[in-house]
Amino acid sequence: MDFSLSEERKMLQETVGRFFGNNYKDIRKRGEYLKMTDGFSRDFWKESSNLGVINGLVSPAFGGLGGSGEDICIIFELIGKSLCIEPFLSSGLLSSTILSSLNNPKTDLINQIIEGKLLMSFAHMEMNNRYEDHLVETKAKLEKETWKLNGSKSFVINGDSADKVIISARIEGKVNDKEGIGLFLVDNNNINNRPYNTIDGYRSTEMSFENINGELLCKDNEALECIIKTNSAGALALSAEAVGIMQVCFDLTLDYLKTRKQFGKSIGAFQSIQHRMVDMMLEIEQVRSAVMLASSTFESNSTTRDKNVSAAKNLVGRVGKLIAEESIQLHGGIAMTWEYSVAHYAKRLIMIDHLMGDADYHRDRFKLLSSI
Amino acid sequence: MNFEYSEKDENFRIEVREWLKATLPNYLKEKVKKYQRLTKEDYELFMNNLSEKGWLAWHWPEEYGGTGWNAIEKHIFEEEIVKASAPRIVPFGVNMLGPVLIEFGSEEQKNYYLPRILNNEDWWAQGYSEPGAGSDLASLKTTAIDKGDHYLVNGQKTWTTLGHHADMIFCLVKTDLNVKPQLGISFLLIDMKSPGVEVKPIITLDGEHEVNEVWFTDVKVPKKNLVGKENEGWTYAKYLLTFERTGIAGVPNSKSALNHLKMVSRKSMKNGKPLIDDPIFSSEVAELEIDLLAMEIFNLRTVSAAAEGKAPGMESSLLKIKGTLVRQKTTELLRKALGPQALPYLPEQFDEGWNEMPIGPEYAGPIAKQYFNMRKISIYGGSNEIQKNIVAKASFGL
Repeated sequence: MDFSLSEERKMLQETVGRFFGNNYKDIRKRGEYLKMTDGFSRDFWKESSNLGVINGLVSPAFGGLGGSGEDICIIFELIGKSLCIEPFLSSGLLSSTILSSLNNPKTDLINQIIEGKLLMSFAHMEMNNRYEDHLVETKAKLEKETWKLNGSKSFVINGDSADKVIISARIEGKVNDKEGIGLFLVDNNNINNRPYNTIDGYRSTEMSFENINGELLCKDNEALECIIKTNSAGALALSAEAVGIMQVCFDLTLDYLKTRKQFGKSIGAFQSIQHRMVDMMLEIEQVRSAVMLASSTFESNSTTRDKNVSAAKNLVGRVGKLIAEESIQLHGGIAMTWEYSVAHYAKRLIMIDHLMGDADYHRDRFKLLSSI
Repeated sequence: MNFEYSEKDENFRIEVREWLKATLPNYLKEKVKKYQRLTKEDYELFMNNLSEKGWLAWHWPEEYGGTGWNAIEKHIFEEEIVKASAPRIVPFGVNMLGPVLIEFGSEEQKNYYLPRILNNEDWWAQGYSEPGAGSDLASLKTTAIDKGDHYLVNGQKTWTTLGHHADMIFCLVKTDLNVKPQLGISFLLIDMKSPGVEVKPIITLDGEHEVNEVWFTDVKVPKKNLVGKENEGWTYAKYLLTFERTGIAGVPNSKSALNHLKMVSRKSMKNGKPLIDDPIFSSEVAELEIDLLAMEIFNLRTVSAAAEGKAPGMESSLLKIKGTLVRQKTTELLRKALGPQALPYLPEQFDEGWNEMPIGPEYAGPIAKQYFNMRKISIYGGSNEIQKNIVAKASFGL
């Protein structure tokens, strides 16, 4: 049994941590990046690629240097610590996971992503499919040997700036059939995009398209398994991101308790506040433990993988709410301001529960997978 | 990162499991499974077996007759004991007093008491809490007055677990009343057969006799029974309280309780269907299982750090808090699972050899009783509130 990181991973953690830390020192920087055309900094993305951060999300079998559950978690925990908004999730992880999980992997595209030359997004969510892997309304039909796609996709993170988009679409069957789904590669120029910022400071877009061409990547069981694996990878990454955010929320709150004085003493001197901090600390350790388990079993069979990811993401949802709300409450009024960083961490932490399955969704999936 | 046990650890687990299978009598296993009352002899049988095998003092260093196991082996041992439905090891002599004597006892005390603990000859009890000294332990009032060759002890201890079986009790007593509380406390070993010692049962809310009051009226205690130095008992008391306890989270107990909960909620019916099919109830079970899963890893992280020689600090306090909450939640859901079947209370059902017809399913009998009994775990051993104070003081720098 060994709970420590290997030397290589410690190095990855240090290098990436230093890089993110230097670029995201000030929360105002994040606001500036978000105001840029793409909703993030192209320069920072390019530098991340040069430094090998995107590499770290991809397995050596496809030209990367990492890609294991542990690598993903190291990088995303650091992303959480700096609240970094570049397309690590959409391009770096989700798209590359689909491309590498295909029976005929698209290694050339993965390499372009790693090199920072290509941006991609995974457009799966629809306005009413909530978090389901298989609920797909968007239609695909074959016309003279060309696949034509019709429909719309919602909440596509960093979808507006993507060069190519992977779209899930229904080839046949009813909206909630598990069979009959296909994954298609589409040129983003053909898609109508309505970009917007999310409440937690990310760029997202609503996509709509009529009769556009798509290249079929996979269908039926292969497609569904691809979607499930990709969503699990995303849920794991977001869980690790949440760990980073929670730690920052805790540290900022503890600092504040020492400096803020009321009734002639620092508010941290009050026992009622100390006890709430212990509750937070304890629950953060619980989440950290669950994420460690999920990351270390991410390469196992899909049942173990998804069960442990769901356990982690469920706990992240529950504990995230506690940490976000308590951080704001214990800070008091200052946490209600845009200017102070804790508000942005809290917002992201809460909204993580609205991505890739919330606490209820993952609790129910955990039930199914552990036959409760 | 690697969460697997090594082959050596797995072999060790098999060795412990096989030994328990071979030596633990079926009747005792059944009693533990059915939550029946254990007699003094039941505890002693298991502890004598352990003693013979050389496994009783599993926390001690090898040179004193301990096992020399590392934290992971200790953890495995604790897990297997629970899985085998063995009685618990009565901790007062072997787990609590032993380490204190090894660290602070005189040669004479070590030579006399340690082998007796190893051979399970004395049943020890713990004399810490008093009616007016619970969380604020240092405010204790029991006095030991210096009478030349002996101390004269007067006062009252309480919550003395299994004290009605005890031959000996280790006590915190006041030897100096004129200094601040922590500085006037001594650590004294008292023979329960001494004139003036009286044990009175306390019946707890579940109707059971497990804890006692112990009264001391002009009890003469020889000077050689003082551990360490006079007025330095607080240091020894704290050493005992913080002594490394890998099992503090009670993970194996909660795991077995969770399995029991699943079994019960498959058998309990709601609207003609098993309760486990009720989405609200099963959601509570699932989130409990997730909490336990996370806690198991948290516990293993701490155990594995301890095995590498890193002293567990506030982790034990955090694990104590979470461990008790999780355990209590299992008893709460078990109680809820029964519905009205939780109502009947037949105290005689928990006696050995009771063979009447139970009311409702046999498993229902102990469940509500266990729920009430388990309220104690967030109170004893330093209440959860005290644990929070400890963590805040040790790690917040406030």
